[in-house]
Amino acid sequence: MEPIAQPALDAAIQKLWEKFLPQMEERIATLERADAALAVDALTREQRSAANAAAHKLAGVLGSFGLTRGTILAREAEILYSGEPGTDPAAAAQLRAITAELRLLIAARKAS
Amino acid sequence: MERLKGEPRLAHRILIVDDEDDIREVAALSLETVAGWEVLTASSGAQGLARAAEFQPEAILLDVMMPGMDGPSTFRALRANPATAHIPVLLLTAKVQSNDQRRFADLGVEAVLFKPFDPLTLAAQMAAVLGWS
Repeated sequence: MEPIAQPALDAAIQKLWEKFLPQMEERIATLERADAALAVDALTREQRSAANAAAHKLAGVLGSFGLTRGTILAREAEILYSGEPGTDPAAAAQLRAITAELRLLIAARKAS
Repeated sequence: MERLKGEPRLAHRILIVDDEDDIREVAALSLETVAGWEVLTASSGAQGLARAAEFQPEAILLDVMMPGMDGPSTFRALRANPATAHIPVLLLTAKVQSNDQRRFADLGVEAVLFKPFDPLTLAAQMAAVLGWS
């Protein structure tokens, strides 16, 4: 396969973004479900583990699609969900804010 | 990274092992289109072991966190098999904590690369580690 220049790479990356967008949005939905459960002090171990995994995956991939800020935010969420966020009242609000910003970033990337 | 016409090029053979299909596809796209390398992929450590033995890649890009056989276990199995023991392995991880980095480096891999990677520079990063110019 002949190597191609950056514009062609960018176009191919955009196609992959569109292909994997539902997967990104499902990871955000996982975080939102965990955030909602945390807000009412009902976060289960399974939800926390799923949120931690979703945040880890987002952190690992968003930057490759140009969303460096998304990787930073997802990494913060991963760290918070790797501990016991239910014991820290500030963590629930912080996680809600992180997830909301992640959703906005992904929506903006989708529209670009 | 545009190449000049007529410039000699080596089509290196790479195996990517990662359970995340988005990461796998972005990495494969990057190495194929930017560097013109031949890429095969595997979605688990076990599949990676089989493909490495069969395909005999010149290097393996191996994810750390995978269900079942994780990256370090896969690396040890690759080293234990005479058919794959010689293949350089680069670990790919989203873990950025320094104790994780030290633990991975101590395994004896060629390098530890970090997610997220830049699709435009991944091949150059790997080539530098592997001494491919």
